[in-house]
Order: sequence, then structure tokens, then C-alpha cells
Amino acid sequence: MNQWLDISSAAFQAAFYLYCASFISYAIAVAGKRWSNREPALHNRRWGRIGFVLAVVGWACHLTFFFTRWKGGGHIPTSNMYEFMTFLAMAIVFAFIVVHSIYRNNLLGAFALPLVVIIVAYAAVFPSEVQPLIPALNSYWLKIHVTTAATGEAFFAVAFAAALVQLLRVIDFSRTDKKGRREQKWVEFVLFFMVVIIGFLVSVFAFRGGGYEASFRQEEVHIDQQGAEQSVTQTVEYGLPPIAAPYNSEQISMQPYLGITKPLFEAPSWMNGVNAGRKLNTVIWSVLSGAILYGLLRLIARRPLAAVIHPHLTDIDPEDLDEISYRAIAIGFPVFTLGALIFAMIWAQIAWSRFWGWDPKEVWALITWLFYSAYLHLRLSRGWQGTRSAWLAVIGFIVVLFTLIGVNLVIAGLHSYAGV
Amino acid sequence: MKRYRKPIQYMILAVVLLVGGYAIGQSFLTPNKALKPGSEAPSFELLGLDGATHSLASYKGKPLVINFWGTFCPPCRNEMPAIQAQYDKWSDAGAQIIGINLSEDRVSVNSFLRSYGISFPVLLDKNKKTEKAYGLKEYPTTFFINADGVIEDIVIGGPMSEETIESRIARLLGKD
Amino acid sequence: MIQNTKCECGHQNPAGTVLCESCGKPLVEDLPLDTPLEMRYDGAARRSQKQNPAVIDRVWNFFSSVKIAIWLIILTLIGSAIGTIYPQESTFINLDEPAKYYKETYGTWGTVYQALGFSRTYESWWFIGLLVMIGTSLVICSLDRVLPLYKALSKQQVRKHMTFLTRQQTVLQMQVEGDAGQWVERFAAQLRRKRYRVWTEGSALLAEKNRFSRWGPYINHIGLIIFLLAVLGRSVPAWHMDQYVGVDEHQVKQVPGTEYYIGNDKFTVEYYKDEELPDNLKGIARAKLYQTQATLYACTQYCGDDPLHDPVLKPVESHAIEVNSPLEYKGLKFYQFNFEQKIRLIEVKPMLIDAVSGQSYGPFDLKMSDPAEQSQAGPYTLTLSDVYPDFGLDAEGAPMTKSRDFNNPAFVFRITGPDLDAKGELYIYFPMPSAADKGVQQQINDSFKRLGSNSGRFNFEVGKMENVTFSQYTSYLNVRVDRAMPYVWIGAAIFMIGVIMGLYWQHRRIWVRIDDGRLTLGAHTNKNTYGIRADAASALAKCGIPVDPKVLDNRRNTR
Repeated sequence: MNQWLDISSAAFQAAFYLYCASFISYAIAVAGKRWSNREPALHNRRWGRIGFVLAVVGWACHLTFFFTRWKGGGHIPTSNMYEFMTFLAMAIVFAFIVVHSIYRNNLLGAFALPLVVIIVAYAAVFPSEVQPLIPALNSYWLKIHVTTAATGEAFFAVAFAAALVQLLRVIDFSRTDKKGRREQKWVEFVLFFMVVIIGFLVSVFAFRGGGYEASFRQEEVHIDQQGAEQSVTQTVEYGLPPIAAPYNSEQISMQPYLGITKPLFEAPSWMNGVNAGRKLNTVIWSVLSGAILYGLLRLIARRPLAAVIHPHLTDIDPEDLDEISYRAIAIGFPVFTLGALIFAMIWAQIAWSRFWGWDPKEVWALITWLFYSAYLHLRLSRGWQGTRSAWLAVIGFIVVLFTLIGVNLVIAGLHSYAGV
Repeated sequence: MKRYRKPIQYMILAVVLLVGGYAIGQSFLTPNKALKPGSEAPSFELLGLDGATHSLASYKGKPLVINFWGTFCPPCRNEMPAIQAQYDKWSDAGAQIIGINLSEDRVSVNSFLRSYGISFPVLLDKNKKTEKAYGLKEYPTTFFINADGVIEDIVIGGPMSEETIESRIARLLGKD
Repeated sequence: MIQNTKCECGHQNPAGTVLCESCGKPLVEDLPLDTPLEMRYDGAARRSQKQNPAVIDRVWNFFSSVKIAIWLIILTLIGSAIGTIYPQESTFINLDEPAKYYKETYGTWGTVYQALGFSRTYESWWFIGLLVMIGTSLVICSLDRVLPLYKALSKQQVRKHMTFLTRQQTVLQMQVEGDAGQWVERFAAQLRRKRYRVWTEGSALLAEKNRFSRWGPYINHIGLIIFLLAVLGRSVPAWHMDQYVGVDEHQVKQVPGTEYYIGNDKFTVEYYKDEELPDNLKGIARAKLYQTQATLYACTQYCGDDPLHDPVLKPVESHAIEVNSPLEYKGLKFYQFNFEQKIRLIEVKPMLIDAVSGQSYGPFDLKMSDPAEQSQAGPYTLTLSDVYPDFGLDAEGAPMTKSRDFNNPAFVFRITGPDLDAKGELYIYFPMPSAADKGVQQQINDSFKRLGSNSGRFNFEVGKMENVTFSQYTSYLNVRVDRAMPYVWIGAAIFMIGVIMGLYWQHRRIWVRIDDGRLTLGAHTNKNTYGIRADAASALAKCGIPVDPKVLDNRRNTR
């Protein structure tokens, strides 16, 4: 649209590649310590510093992206999923820089940066055009609310990264008792979950790169508030080859893949929300490609992924990670409360005349808050530290992700709540 | 300090019980605002076509039938003769029948009543106020209210037959 | 089990004390010996811990337990989550038969969900009960802990028991040269420089910083209590109102339940132009602005229910209501909620045309709602004999109105005046006729003529558009009164202050004692042990004992 937006998207790409480079440096810092001819501590420090500098430069580019887009688009870029996710990634890097400058721990970068890369890539799945604001979003409270909430959540993300490292660090592969095995299984599951997200990204970008398209005509029957049945016919576009077709639909066009020319089945009828069929299809693809990816990794490593990572973490104190994770939550909690609850209430009061409406998104923000308050109480008053508290930090971030993405995908997929 | 510990505990628990009881009690109260037999009839104060003010209180002491109607509603128009006939029959026996028009203008109401030969009192609702107070969902709706101002029966929709009206008025008067 | 609560230092502790109030020696023997001490509430007994609890004490103790509080939080969390599975009933404006709706829309699970009352989760007795219990727990937990903690912190011993020091999270023991008292003073100076408050007692030292952060949790709990009470206050009827009014343009309507009237002077809706939209949104009506130019009137006379007089209104406030900008007046707020495009006539000023003489008379005012029963046009008197707001013909072909909305109004006038019959002439007039209605108007007037009711010489004409007032949009406004809101915000603000105090500052304490040249240092903070190790290490370094902060970590040394 204008040259500001051109600068903006160039800066965004630069930021993405810099984050990737930063991640690689951190990975070398952690994994390459025992390479021949080097002093481990020195190696770690050198590559860690490179990684940190790259992350900071990447963040500067990210900031450039943010402000040029603001200038070019005429409003703060936090009003749709693409913009929100990029902002979240930016906030995570910010939180990482804050926590890193307190604790100077290289391992944290090795886990926070891939998270940032994944979120930036996830943002790129959504349409990136600047959209003009609808009236309800045209409020400065909204801007304050979204940016503060994302900043709080970013600290939770850093806490998650630290907690995951801690779990990988303390996990004991020599244990064969029930509890030990259960712990191994769950840590591996968290890693598998992350691989599934990567699988999702890989399949979306692979098929998008290949220009894949399929479309269906779906008839939706819904009952309006007067109780009258209304049927709406709409076209559903697929970017991934349809394994599951929308419920009650007919095929308009479909490029064949792997010799398959028809969807394998139709989405069940209770998934009757906006684009539920497409979302189900995306989930199937993510799990499939994630499973294949995970299988390949296992094949190469011939060990659980956690067991691959574990040996590289031995020279760090789990207590430090525990402390980092806890501190990140302690910093994030007030920011999150202010942004996701209090500012949200102020905005809702002005825009919708009620500060609280038990809307699913609001409720999940509350659930996140309740979860982290339980975390703080367990930790401060009941002495939960170490592994237990690390698990809570991991689960907490999954709750955050569900609030941010899941509510729009799943709950909106089950019914027609479209979200804001 | 120690001496006051017990009373303070009691006081706090009492306050908690009171406030908590109120909060939880509220949760039972909120739903179901719709009128049903046994509810108290909501009060009103309306201008009649006769130019006088009529209120629910002024009808207390005798059974009362309130028919909500409008000229735009065919079943309302169709049941008018039956209501008029019942009015003629029961007005001496002490049962009262009134109509409340659904916020139409005076001219339409007057001309309608003239052409149908209606003589029972008709009041004019304004801005759907009384209609909302009675929670009307369908027209016509007729409320049968006993001498104490308690709703005994509600007939939703129409047209009502004379028997429908008659049996209910008889019950109001205790003449089953 | 009766616990012996008298410490070896001679101090008599209340039942439930974990660490001696005076010297800090652990009193509960079953604590694992090698772990750092449990330091919460400084080991003081909770207020309610007693040897022989009565019933009321048991209730009190129930709510005083953090374990219970955490369970309450988790139950509330689960309850809230269940409430989001299907939409709540409260999200529908009109839902007459919820059971039917949930069955038809969500099938069996929907039926079960509704039947179990989860479709009204947030208004249910159990959910509100949970919130009430959380509130109770907030009050009792805080009261029970804050007083003993306050006492414990305000009369701290400088010289602590050896076990107390060696079982802190941050510990150092080593030999020091020279005079113990002097060394302690030097160390004290270093800590003071780090803004610690320091007390010394010969060869013992206590340094403390940011004690106020210990009050953070209690302050945030007070904030939450105020918040919850304020939310409860919203259920007091006089404090809360939530109504919807639909107002046509140029219409003034009473706000239900108040003596205020709201007028919609003009409604504007704007959409984005195609050139303002990105490619994928072009051609889609994307709203840019909804605005109601509104005026609020206060009733000054004949308010209430007086059916004989129209209320007297005085404008008190006007504002362009937009989605993020409500009209506010004395706690009454009007929010843009919705709108509907529907053309409605409000008033016309037609001329009476005499086809015979070519003369035109008037104009006269004709209001759609409550039209005047008589109007004057030149020498002629027009008496309204029938009004059909939504003109139609019934089964017998007689004129009728299909509804009471002015969708297609028709007026029947009886005209009397010079050269006319004493009983006058009847004419029907459609101010806003469709092509078909023009024919109907003609037909009816002709049939009047055939019946001898008129001579056909009169006609009506509006002429210019400025003689027509009409509404193009109905604006739906949400009217709110929420007198508890200030308290909601105050509660939230206090909560934030408490949380920030408690989480962004840490209460740090360092104890030192030197016994026969052997230095024992213990330090404690419940958050940021990293920070306190750094503090202690740097102060030690300045006093000639260079240590790596990590060496001070007791957990590492004992593991």
C-alpha cells in the first residue's frame, strides 16, 4: 500500500532470519561444547554472546517492523491474529532480554528463541494485510490492553522455556519405576507437542508454497434467535489437501494429492461452527506431519528426544532454572493481571457497557490468572519447588496458548462464536 | 487483644454468612420473571377513553378480567363480540371486564370500538409500558384476576369463545 | 499430641509455632534435617491454631488453610472452564425455551449440559458459592497470618540459634581473623551501603531490606475482597440497571425505569470504501463508524404515570454516541448497541388541494404517532376519522392495519367547511404511498364517491421533501447504571499495588554471628535467592572474603 509497509515487511523478514540465526548460535553454544579443540566454558560464552547479540538485533528489526507498520497502517498493529502473534513474539524476545540480563543464562536462549521462531512462523500463517479497524476495536484502551496482556504472557513463555529446560535437565533416564517412567513419558510428550506445531507450520507453508487449493460448498443450517431455521450456503476454501471435508458439503474443486481425488471423510455434524471442517482438517494434517517428523527424528537419534537433549544440559544447576522460571512468572503475573484482566475490563466497560460478560475469551483469561495464582500460592505457601513447580509452569503456558489460540480455534469451531 | 479474639471471630463469620447468604440467595432468585397464575397482577395507571384515569387499585375488591388487544390483531378483533356479551352478562354480578389497547392512537381505537359497538371500558396503554409490565408475548392475552389482585388464570392467544370467558369468570366469582 | 512449645532459650511459644519466636530454633522435630527451613510467616503460629478447637474454630481453620484456598481456586478454574464448552444462556437476548434450543443445536451433550445447569454456570448457586468461599478464605487467611507475621517481624532477635542460620537457603560458615565485633561493624557498613537496615549486637548482626513487600499479599487480598464486594453490590437493584431502548431518528423515548428521555437526533453509519480495504476484503461492507447523535432530556413535570398530561422535558445533555464513546449523565450511561435500517415516517406537512378551483390550502401538520384529531387547512376543517398505521385489507376487503408500526400509514379525514355538505366529505390519504397504494388510494376515494361520501374535488400533496420528516435508522442503545463500578476499580487498583509490592520487591534478611572466630552467615528471602546471594557475596568480598555467590547456596551444598 505504501512504502512504510514495504519497509515493515522487509524488517519482519530480517527479524525472522536473525531469530533463526540466534537460535542456531545458541544451539551451537549448548551442543558444541564438547567439540574437539575447545574450552567448553569459553565456547559457551562466545556463542552465547553471538546468539544474544543476534537476538537483540533481530528484536530491533522486529521493533522497526512494528512501528513502520503502525505508521503505514494508521493504527497500532495488534488488531488481528497475524499482528497479535507477531507482537507476542516481540514481547517474548523482550521478556527474554529482561530475564537474560538478570541471570545471563545461555540455555534459556536455546529454548526461548525456538519458541519465538515458532510463534513468528505461526503468525505468518494468517493473512498479513493491514485491515482497517471496525468501530469496536477503535479504542486506545484496546491497544493498551492487548500490548500489556501480551507482555505478561511473554514472561510466562520465558518461564515455560526455563521450566522445560529444567525438566529436561532433571529427568532421570536411569529410573525404571512407575513414577520415573511417567515423568519421562510426559516430558517426551511436551516435546512431541512442539514437534506437532512445527509439523503444522511445515505442512501449511509447504502446500502454500506449492499453491495448493481445494474448495467446497457447504450448507449450514442454524436456528436464529426467533427460532426460525435458516440455511446458508457458503464456500469453504482449503489450503491443505482435504482429508476431512466440511459437514454437509459438496466438492467444488480439488487438486489431487498422492493420487487421492476425494476427501476421506466428512467432519461430524456437531462440529457446526465457522470453518469447523477446515480446522479439523488442519489439526489432522498437523498431527500427521508432526508424527512423521517426530518419527524421523527418533529414527535418526534412536532415542527419545528428551534423552538427546538431556546430556547437553548437565552443567547447569536446576535450581537456577527453577529460580528463573519462578522469577519470570513473578514478573509476568502483575503485568498479565493488569493487561489481560483490568485493562480488558476497562475497555469492555467502555465498548460493551459491561466490564465482564463471561465471554469464553474473558473466562479463559480468568482461568489463566487463577492457574498462575494457584502456582504462586503453591510455591509460596506450600513449598512446591523444583519439578512440581516446573510442571505447573509448563501447563500454565499451555493454558495461555489455549486462551490465545485455542479459544478462537476450538470453542469458535464448535459453535459460531467468532471472537473479536 | 486476646480478649477480643473470640467476638471478632464470631463477627467476621456472621458478616461472611450474611453477605455470602445474600450472594448465593440472589442466584436462586434471578430467573423466571414471567407472570403465571398465582402472581400478583402488576399495577398500572392509564387514561381511559372516557378521559378518566384508571388504576388497578381502583378495581380491587371485585374480580377483574383484563384483555390486551389491538385493532391490528385479527383474533383480538374477532373475540371482541364475545367479550362484550360477557360484559353485559356479568357486570351486574360484580365481575369487571376492561380492555387495554396496545398503545395505538386514540382515533383508531375510537373508530374501531364504534364500528364494533363495544361499551366495556377501554384504557390506552402508552409506549407499551403496561404491556411490558405484564410480559406479553402474544396478542391477545387475557388475565383473570381475583378480588385480591392475584392472577388466577391467563389465556394467551385467541379468539376466546364465550364459554372460555364465562367458565373462568364463574370460577373467579366462586360459582363453579 | 501435646506439643512442648517452650524453647530451650526460655521463650514460651504459642501452639503451632514452627520456629521459636525468639531465637529461631526449629521446634518441630520431624522436619527433615538436611533441608532448608520452612520460613513462611517466619515460623510463627497462625492466629487460629489452638490446642483444642471448638466447632467455630474448625470452620475458621477450614477457611484459614491455604490448601483449601488452592482447592477453591482450582475448583473455580474448572467450573469456569466447563462454562465455556457451550455458549451460556445469558449470551442470547431472547431465549424462551433453552432446553429445546440446546437440544436442537448441540444434540445429546447439549441437552445434558443444559439439564445439569451448566448453561447458567456463572449465575449458578455453586459457582457463586465458590466465589463466596474464596472471599471468605481471603478474609480469614489474611487475618490469621498478617498479625502473627507483623508481631514476628517487629520484634526480631539479632542473635539467632545456630540451627536457624545453618538451615537457611543461603549459608556460609568459615573462620575469620581479627576482632569479631569490628568485623561485624565493617560488614554492617557494607550492607548499609546496599540500603539494608542493620542491627548489631556484639558479634551478631541482622540486616534487613524491603520488609514492606511482606505486606503485598495482604494488600492484594484486601483489593480482591473490595472487588468481590463491589461485584456483589451490582446486584443491589438501585445500584444497577441494564436496559435496551430502540429509538428512531427524531424520536424521543422514555428510558425505562427512570424519569429521563432519550432522543435520537440523527444516526450515521459509515462503511469503508474499497480503496481503504485490502484486496481480500474488497466489496465487503466493513463498518467504519456507528454514531447516534443523541440528546438526553430530564422530565421536569408530569413525570411518573400521569396519564392526563404529557411530560415536560428539558434537554440536559447531548453527545455523539459511538461504540467506544457512551453518553454519560449522572451515572446513567448510553452505549451504542445495534441499529436497524428501516424507513419510518414521523411527520408530514401536506397541502390540501382543491381540484375544482385549483386552490391549495395549508400546509397542515400530520404527525404519525398520536395525530391531532382536528387540523385546519385554509377555511376547511379536517377531522381524523380513521388511522391505519400499517394499511392493509382484511379477508372481507375492508381496510385494516396490519400492525401498529408506521410502515404504510393511511389516514381517513372528514373535511368540512365552506360550500360543503354539513356532514362533510371523506377522503383517505397515504403520505408515503407505494405505486400499488396510489391505486388503492384512488380506488377507496372513488368508492367513497360512489357512496356519496365525497365529491372527489379534494386531494393531498406533500410537495417538497422538507415537508417530510422521516427516520431512516432505528438505533438500539444499551442503558446502564452501575454505581458499584468505582469500587470495582478501587479494588482492582489496590490489588495491583499489593501484587506489585509483593512480587517486584523482596524482603531480604541476612544474619551473622561469630562464635570464637567462626563466622556463620544465613540469609533468607522467599523470592529471588539469586539476588540475596549476590548481595551477601558482594558485601563479603568487600570485607575481604571473596566468594562465588553460588557457594552460598545451601540447597546445592546439601544435595
